[in-house]
Amino acid sequence: MNENNKHTNDLSSKQPENKSDNFVKESMEEIPFQPRALVVDDEERIRDSCERMLEEDGFGVSCAKNGEEGLRIIEETHYDIVLLDLMMAGLSGFDVLARIKSLHPDSVVIVITGYATIEHSIEAMKKGAFDFLSKPFSPQDLRRVVRKAIEFIRTLQDIATEKSRMRVLVNLLTDGVMTTDNKKNVALANPVFLKMIRCTQTNVQGYKVEQVVDNPKLLDMIDQAVDQPADSFAEIAEEIVVDGDKESEEAILGAKCIPFRDRLGRKLGTVTVLNDITALKKLDQVKSDFVSMVAHEIKGPLNSVLMLLDNVKSGLAGDMNDKQTEILERVSDRIHSLTSLSAELLDLAKIESGLINQEKEELDLCELAAAQTELYQDKAAANNISLDFAGERTRVPVMGNLTNLEEVIANLVSNAISYTPENGRIRVSACLEGDYAVLKVSDTGYGIPPEEQDRIFQRFCRVKNEQTRFISGTGLGLAIVKSIVEAHEGLIQVDSKPGEGTVFRVYLPRSAG
Amino acid sequence: MSDKKLITVVDDDPDLVEAVCMKLESKNYRVEKAYDGEEALEKVRAEKPDLLILDVMMPRKNGWVVCEELKNDDTLKDIIVVMLTAVGDAVQSTSYTHHEGKTTLADDYIPKPIDMDKLMEIVDDHLGG
Repeated sequence: MNENNKHTNDLSSKQPENKSDNFVKESMEEIPFQPRALVVDDEERIRDSCERMLEEDGFGVSCAKNGEEGLRIIEETHYDIVLLDLMMAGLSGFDVLARIKSLHPDSVVIVITGYATIEHSIEAMKKGAFDFLSKPFSPQDLRRVVRKAIEFIRTLQDIATEKSRMRVLVNLLTDGVMTTDNKKNVALANPVFLKMIRCTQTNVQGYKVEQVVDNPKLLDMIDQAVDQPADSFAEIAEEIVVDGDKESEEAILGAKCIPFRDRLGRKLGTVTVLNDITALKKLDQVKSDFVSMVAHEIKGPLNSVLMLLDNVKSGLAGDMNDKQTEILERVSDRIHSLTSLSAELLDLAKIESGLINQEKEELDLCELAAAQTELYQDKAAANNISLDFAGERTRVPVMGNLTNLEEVIANLVSNAISYTPENGRIRVSACLEGDYAVLKVSDTGYGIPPEEQDRIFQRFCRVKNEQTRFISGTGLGLAIVKSIVEAHEGLIQVDSKPGEGTVFRVYLPRSAG
Repeated sequence: MSDKKLITVVDDDPDLVEAVCMKLESKNYRVEKAYDGEEALEKVRAEKPDLLILDVMMPRKNGWVVCEELKNDDTLKDIIVVMLTAVGDAVQSTSYTHHEGKTTLADDYIPKPIDMDKLMEIVDDHLGG
């Protein structure tokens, strides 16, 4: 301060043009409007010099020579910055400060105090002043304080812009969005969110989340997100069902809940996003129903045709020559593959419509795998392939549906046989790995090219090349396997090198037993 | 040739009826064909067959109803009824409860798709062939 004192009197004199110090003008380019400043001081000399300097820096400046005039101006116009003398004749600076703060809370008030009365400055700061300048002050002092104020204003503006941008954005979304703080108070919920969860209130900001949301599953998800340990960032995703009301029918929502944290990893709150998937679900059901209807309608007549063919082949319609028999064999084979396609379509439709989750019991994966391996010995031998159960015969307990798990193993083993050339080798094993029961089926077959490995679990996907062209199949086997495994909360992995062989691993949650 | 046993085959799929009848005829049975529940009852009343192979899902009276009417009629209740069902629940008793909770008085059943050899076995067993 002392160093600057000697410049005090320079304030009224002409300032040398100093580009680098001309801070406000530079920053004006970023602020899309001219900031306005009001100078309230009963000393004309100070008013004039402040006005000149602020104008030079790009402000629109007004002046008032006492508190009363200042108040009049304030009532009419909003100012970004107010330079306010505390000690004036008549209305005091404190009264003006109080009025400004109640009229325009975002105006930045810098108080000017005479004779370095620190107590007054502190008092003014407590009442909402942003900073203070002690008389006498230099142009540099003024610039420094104003510069700080401008930065502050700009930050406030950024936040306000961001807030309004975000509000518009969130309100425009067709997904429901709600954010809470880490005490589960609602910070924001867009109209779509409130409509989706059938909340009739319109302004829920600050409410406890339980007052807004009554779906237990959704509340539980938010709890989980809030309670997540600091080092994890898992997204919690569920399907929830909300009952219909007067305006809307029952709806199925895809809900995602994610915790969010600050730079230091401290919990700030949660974000919940809802997505109406009712139509999708209905469509999916229609598709499943349609598929199973079609499959069923195809299966019946084809079986009748097969029975008729069998009658003809066995000579019930007269003697057959060799050529006729051979043709009818081929016809039968083709129809058989169609009936197995429709059987698999029915399976898939059943799995997709959730029937699979009905009967689960405790099973020994090892025993199942060994039994299926035994069942396929003949088929393997017919293809000159050695098929062995290779693992240890220890109990590998899982909770599962017997028919479904048998189907998983059978599909993998039969696939391995189909896609392994003569003199190949297939090994089946089952073991426990941590919390998982693992089934492994490995072969020395043709392998799956890397670019096909993602596709093989899709419906109707069949890898065809020179070696596999003549292998028949529906392309549904692995899709069924995957559906079953997923319905058992498990996962399936494939590891394959063309020309060397393939390993399928199925991970199922082990049961306690 | 009246010492040949008569079997009525009832299903709304004519190809299935044809296939089964062909096979039965080759095993020296006489056959009668019907394609819905009402027609089945008419033919059974007129011909009094020894055995009835009866589909469940049919237009104009389903198989359960046809079976019940026969078994409640003193003049017809001795006709052996073998139900064709699309569900393969292994139910062996002569008076069994269907998986939908329906009880039937049928004498036997065979699941669809039909295993022809198995059907012939069942028929032979009941008719002592």
